[in-house]
Amino acid sequence: MHAPEFDSVPVPARIQSIRQLTADTSLFRLKVEEKLPSTFLPGQFIQLSVPAGGEIPISPADVPSDDGTMELCIRRFGHVTSLLLRAKEGDRLGIRGPFGNGFPVDAMSGKDVLLLAGGLGIAPLRSLLFHLLRHRSDVRSLTLMYGAREPAVMLFKTELLDLATTGSLRLLLTVDFLTETCQTEPTCNVGLLPTLLKGVQLEPGNSCAAVCGPPALYRCTIDELLLAGVAEGDIYLSLERRMKCGVGLCCHCAVGQLFCCCNGPVFRYGDIKDIPGAL
Amino acid sequence: MVRHFLADNSLGQLLDWLSRFGALHGPIRTAEGVEVFGPVQAEDDLLLTCRRTLIPPKKYLLPPRQVILNYTAADGYTLPDETAPQVILFGVHPCDLQGIAYLDRVFLGDRPDRLYRRHRDAITLVGLSCEPDEFCFCTSHENIPRNADLFLQHVEHGFLVSTGTSKGEGMIAGLEPLLSDLNIAPQPLSENRMMTRLREVAKNGETFPDSPLWEHFATRCLSCGACSVCCPTCYCFDVLENGALDGTTAERFREWDNCLFRAHGEVAGGTNFRPDRRERFHYRYLHKYLGFGALAGEPACVGCGRCRVVCPVGIDLTELFTEGGDARP
Repeated sequence: MHAPEFDSVPVPARIQSIRQLTADTSLFRLKVEEKLPSTFLPGQFIQLSVPAGGEIPISPADVPSDDGTMELCIRRFGHVTSLLLRAKEGDRLGIRGPFGNGFPVDAMSGKDVLLLAGGLGIAPLRSLLFHLLRHRSDVRSLTLMYGAREPAVMLFKTELLDLATTGSLRLLLTVDFLTETCQTEPTCNVGLLPTLLKGVQLEPGNSCAAVCGPPALYRCTIDELLLAGVAEGDIYLSLERRMKCGVGLCCHCAVGQLFCCCNGPVFRYGDIKDIPGAL
Repeated sequence: MVRHFLADNSLGQLLDWLSRFGALHGPIRTAEGVEVFGPVQAEDDLLLTCRRTLIPPKKYLLPPRQVILNYTAADGYTLPDETAPQVILFGVHPCDLQGIAYLDRVFLGDRPDRLYRRHRDAITLVGLSCEPDEFCFCTSHENIPRNADLFLQHVEHGFLVSTGTSKGEGMIAGLEPLLSDLNIAPQPLSENRMMTRLREVAKNGETFPDSPLWEHFATRCLSCGACSVCCPTCYCFDVLENGALDGTTAERFREWDNCLFRAHGEVAGGTNFRPDRRERFHYRYLHKYLGFGALAGEPACVGCGRCRVVCPVGIDLTELFTEGGDARP
């Protein structure tokens, strides 16, 4: 796959629908007005342009569709996302990409696949989850462990529970703490995400894990994953950096001597464990 | 090797001739007394023995702020209709020529940068030999960098003029009356000890993790970023977009960024991957001396000495290489 040039012109994309997921997070479905720049792999990212706001790197939350739409999960974090959350259906945005490598879905073939999502990290992993569910017979088992701060900010909960009832996915949810209003919903574990990994034993060489979440998540889950038997080279981490150009020129996203935008954003743990500041 | 001799008193005629091909720029002194690359109005403006300009010629290839996209409600995002005027850049020292060669590799590699290409194609490089001082170290002050279209070497009573590109050859065709042929043996490469050490360091990927100098640097640094601004090979940029007051148009531009600034390693939500100066120094060191991405293993330092000159607190990253043995030229 050939990523476009840094100075490529964003392709126009209209907001087809906006679904508010939580107080500060919405799921946008964009209809790309021209032909899709290219198909994308789970874990790749696009650069989303908001006129007069700027551009932000975002990984799509679904898989490529025939109707030229894609879903993006947007949380209010900064200038551009604040503008986005004030946008209306029908507004025109812009898209460049896709950029980066994405999750190595072929390497997951035949294995027990564990997806570990923390907070907004569920968005890129939802893309991987949808991909793997479409090709469910390619992998031996599929488990999603998803942790959110509290029940009210757990994203896609109903959808995930529905998927789990089909039997093709093992779903484990956890929240950092329970809030008063949600105590009547004892559908998930209470505790940090790594607590779900306690006692889990996987077959080394025949298992792999894909992790995406806030920076702190990586440091506290890797030891648990290694203890569970996942090999260093089978732990795939989607790293967050400030990717401004997407093609290895602007130098904001360096991880050691590698670039998150073109060598990543998905890295094997074994490849980056010795790089200071990578995690 | 055939070079041509140009007498001192014919320099003005050469400059007049070169001005036919574009606006003549070179090292001049501003009204404030700063030595910079700028437009040359008269031969006397040119600083022929200038040690180094404050800002390297990268500003001609990567303007400090450059519009990359325009936005209008009607047309969406469009490429700017920008033209780069022809510039004859006179008096570029070998270190700066090497700096341009490095930028060419970054911006004209696998995925050429359109705006860089446009500016690069509009520039003719006329190199000029120089005398090293205690701040700089390069291997090339006696060798003609290959990317100079023309190169002038100071000799007694004039200059040796040589051509490095067919463009350069074409430009001096017709100047025969001013130039006399000389047969001169190529000069041997004079390898500078610091540059040799630097190449070793890059090749071996040395990071000096235990050096007490990191702490020493971090506690003194003011995070002013001057070392990066004046570096001929520092090219990190930020991408920003401003809406116009009319509410319907916008400009997206890139502008020089600086790895010594705290915001450089920040991501959405405020997490910072390089929150303290020590980490930012490590980052700068990695990029400058060990190289990123496709250029990993190749030092980007060309030995111009600017960062050593401008640092207000006297920080010199090359001290890392010379601990325990003075390799300073």
